Amino acid sequence: MEKQKVLYESGNELAAYAAKQINYHVMGYYPITPSTQIAENLDLMGAEGEHDIKLIAAEGEHSAAGICYGASTGGGRVFNATSANGLLYALEQFPVQSGTRFPMVMNVACRTVSGPLCIKGDHSDIMYMLNTGWIILFADEPQTVYDMNLLALKLAEAVSLPVAIAFDGFYTSHQKRKCMVFENDSTVKNYIGEKKTAADVLDLAHPITVGSYMNEPDVLNNRYQLHLAMKQAKELLPVLFAEYAELSGRAYSFLKGYLYEDANILLVVLGSAYHTAMEAVDILRKEGTRAGVVTLLTLRPFPHEEIVRFCQNAAVIVAADRQDSYGADGGNLSLELRAALQRASLPVKVISRVYGLGGQDFFVEDALSLFREGLGGSAASFAYHGVTKGSGRQEQPAYFEPLSEANTTKHITTCSYDAAAGKMIVKGGLLRDATAMPKRLAPGHGACPGCGIPVNLNLLLKGIEGNVVLLFQTGCGMVVTTAYPKTSFKVPYLHNLFQNGAATLSGLAEVFRQRQKRGEYPAGEITFIMVSGDGGMDIGMGSALGTALRNHRLILFEYDNGGYMNTGYQLSYSTPMGAKSSTSHVGSTQYGKTFFHKDTPEIMAATHIPYVACAAESNPMDFIRKAAKAAAYAKSFGTAYIKALSACPLNWSDSPDKERSVIAAAVDCCYFPLYEIENGITSLNYDPEKAGKKIPVTDWFSMMGRTRHLTKDTYREITDKIQAETDRRFAKLRARSENPLL
Amino acid sequence: MQNTLPVTNENGYFEIRLESIGGMGANLCGKMLGELGALYLSLNASSFSSYGSEKRGSPVKAFVRWCREDMPIRVNSPVVSPHILCIFHEGLMGRLPVLDGVEPDTRIILNTPLSPDEAMQKYGLAKGTLYCIDALKIAMESRSRINMVLLGAIAKAAGFIPLDCVKSLCRDTIGKKYPDLIASNLEGVQKGHDLLSDGIPLSAASAQGSPALKKDSFTWGWDNAPQGGINPRFGSTVSNDLSPSREGYIPLFLQEKCINCGLCDSTCPDMVFQFREGTVDGKPAMINGGLDYFHCKGCLRCVAVCPTGALVKALEKDYPDKPWFVPNKDLLPDSIRYEKTGPNGWITSDSYLDEKRVDGGVT
Repeated sequence: MEKQKVLYESGNELAAYAAKQINYHVMGYYPITPSTQIAENLDLMGAEGEHDIKLIAAEGEHSAAGICYGASTGGGRVFNATSANGLLYALEQFPVQSGTRFPMVMNVACRTVSGPLCIKGDHSDIMYMLNTGWIILFADEPQTVYDMNLLALKLAEAVSLPVAIAFDGFYTSHQKRKCMVFENDSTVKNYIGEKKTAADVLDLAHPITVGSYMNEPDVLNNRYQLHLAMKQAKELLPVLFAEYAELSGRAYSFLKGYLYEDANILLVVLGSAYHTAMEAVDILRKEGTRAGVVTLLTLRPFPHEEIVRFCQNAAVIVAADRQDSYGADGGNLSLELRAALQRASLPVKVISRVYGLGGQDFFVEDALSLFREGLGGSAASFAYHGVTKGSGRQEQPAYFEPLSEANTTKHITTCSYDAAAGKMIVKGGLLRDATAMPKRLAPGHGACPGCGIPVNLNLLLKGIEGNVVLLFQTGCGMVVTTAYPKTSFKVPYLHNLFQNGAATLSGLAEVFRQRQKRGEYPAGEITFIMVSGDGGMDIGMGSALGTALRNHRLILFEYDNGGYMNTGYQLSYSTPMGAKSSTSHVGSTQYGKTFFHKDTPEIMAATHIPYVACAAESNPMDFIRKAAKAAAYAKSFGTAYIKALSACPLNWSDSPDKERSVIAAAVDCCYFPLYEIENGITSLNYDPEKAGKKIPVTDWFSMMGRTRHLTKDTYREITDKIQAETDRRFAKLRARSENPLL
Repeated sequence: MQNTLPVTNENGYFEIRLESIGGMGANLCGKMLGELGALYLSLNASSFSSYGSEKRGSPVKAFVRWCREDMPIRVNSPVVSPHILCIFHEGLMGRLPVLDGVEPDTRIILNTPLSPDEAMQKYGLAKGTLYCIDALKIAMESRSRINMVLLGAIAKAAGFIPLDCVKSLCRDTIGKKYPDLIASNLEGVQKGHDLLSDGIPLSAASAQGSPALKKDSFTWGWDNAPQGGINPRFGSTVSNDLSPSREGYIPLFLQEKCINCGLCDSTCPDMVFQFREGTVDGKPAMINGGLDYFHCKGCLRCVAVCPTGALVKALEKDYPDKPWFVPNKDLLPDSIRYEKTGPNGWITSDSYLDEKRVDGGVT
């Protein structure tokens, strides 16, 4: 046995630790709860030079999978981690990876698939992978996550297939346990050995074509090769298990069981529930019931023969799934188990149960109750465990009158279009008058104290008269306002995942006009507004650009807090260069985020929509007036885009009460210029230099914990670059505002 | 060193639950207790927090489970009946069910300036043993943080945790990362240990007049919830009373200084300011009618922007009856029944939060 040491770590931390020891070439990823910590921990270790893995934060999971695929075709060892809808977003890429036979390893911290959006654990995501041609291992506890991560790479490279390692989101990904890891990274390196590359796009002496155009009969044969590779994996796994047991002292097999040999009743479950069920087995055994529990460590290849051997003495099996294959009367594990037993003609009664969806905890009592149902004799073949029927009626009256067009028309702002100048002339917008606008959002939302999102939303909506319909992309703004069974919205509201909000709102806006046209909907106006964070404008950029290019009459509003704050502040493309985040740590070999902040307004401007603007709460009247103009443009001309810099006291690490001055400093240092583009003509609304208020970017950086380190002399070179880029971008805007042709 | 747990539940575990709000460091405290068991007390251990999106000021729970070193930890569900229950924020008492699962052998540690007798009376506590400590005051004096003070207090209340082990843990974790912070944090731990009150046993007799939490008779389920999670109750978060989110301070309204400029309304994230139509110098104008403290989270953004000093920072405890307290003006008459709660608040990630250093401490 090789030398090992004790760590007290979670499943995510151990997956990262294994990846560090393997020292993969590339990790392409996109942060998604609960798998994000894997990339975060690798970034933390990377900032101290503990590994050489190139960590690439993609703009979405689809691209992350593409990065991984590309890197794997070039002979690299490649790693990824994802969950839930991220996995589904990348799903299309998985058969490409397996079908062209490039090995890699991906961790899946399992989480329920939306919607309604839920960030907690179940197995609905991983089961979508069953038909992708990937090997799927299922780790039941943090120690197994570590061990499987080492074994997986060896397996992947031996059979030229990608491997997914699944484990329970939160229960396994986040719970810290005492675990053993190899003390020396060299042990791991020796174990996995040198990478032997069957196909390598970078082999210039032997040029290959990857990804042929292929039809019948070749595809059938290609798929059969994949089937054979899976069979080969099945044969190889016991060898690898034995080899790993010798190395580590920890023996694995396709399945694990507890007191199953003589069990009369067996529970079959995946993941952490297996351990909980062992407690129930002990309780039942004390009562004289011969109970046992079995779990699978491999879903693909599926261990048919082995599972039959584990189940052959049982009279009743309760197969419990943490997901449902709706309409099939069982989750996928239970259906496959039934198929395996039928193939072996085993005369055992199986009942299928669905439990623990959306992070519903699985207590010992739940395991006991599943066993007792199975023992009862007359249990239904399929049922949901733990659902609530609900009782009573909600008697409370409505809290508010619905907002009408009349009571939201306050004439705070008025707009008229000057066709000759191609400009919208806006009047009004005084703050004291704007207090008359009823709030479209109710208080009581769960944003952090001092959060900029509701501030920006309120300012936006003060400037928009009449009916509004809101669509929020996933993000802080959505999570804090719509926690079921409550909602902050007093106006109609729709959520969609952040790859797709703009397209969704396009559809909604167009059906409104179609129904009006057909006389199915009363005349009148509605302002349609999509609200997104800067994260949503990363992953949803394509959807936003498509919407803008089609020029639907709606507003795209971005609150930019410079990071994926809802999930613990991972870098976004809008995070300031040099800022630290949980995926851009500061350490001996890393200074924070390594590239400049994304210039989203200029990207949107390139679609030539009628109106693009940047607004800041530090100039509230300007903000309200821009909102009014955006609404006027959206009513009559097409798409309007507004971006507002939005404070995040939690992750900017500054004081909630200082946020307006922090935003003002961002404007005064020209990092966040206040300007607008109307029908292609740029106007600078505020020039800090002319106002005598221009400050260096480092003055703004010094106000926030996330950037304060940059004010040290050590980082002078970086801040000089940031200052130069900021000034360059601003000078360009100024030149454009002085010359309408530019 | 070898350690034997003095008491365990039916499954063999000694369990700890921390009840807190985001930003007070309960997550780190739970993690440190887990490490303490696993690496310093020769126990087997697991630790985790309640999960969700990242937010400050909302309720958070952290769980720790210890057992014999040679025993596997099989249970991974949250701690229901803890042996030690530590309540980081007194504002949670009587507002959220933080006392759920308390049994006669539960040791409750409450962060409060009150004595155990006073706290017992005030909250009508009926079960377990109550220890009190003014962790906020101690943290401020020692330039440490509440979580470090309470770590020391937990070690003391548990009765079997050598303080030296806790200190070694602090040196190895915080000390390595932030050597300049270790002295103040060790002082916090030491004072938390030394200044914890004696425990007083609680009984049903002491609980007379206890303000029991009202449970709703209504529950949503598959039979009565709208299809697809659609929510027809527009604006319903208004029924959340978010005052537990405040960390001791409120904006105080000095109405006579107000010029009704509307800047406060433009910076408030929580729709606290209730402007109404009125008159100024005989002309119709919008007038600041007061503050809705049900929804004020105490961020004090309004104090920072008020140009006339009509809004000032004040200690909440000095103003039990807040002047100019006006509920949301758009509410329909008699519609509201406030639910004292915080928003969903959990932790999904701690690698970044670990690095937060405030006033010489780490949260």
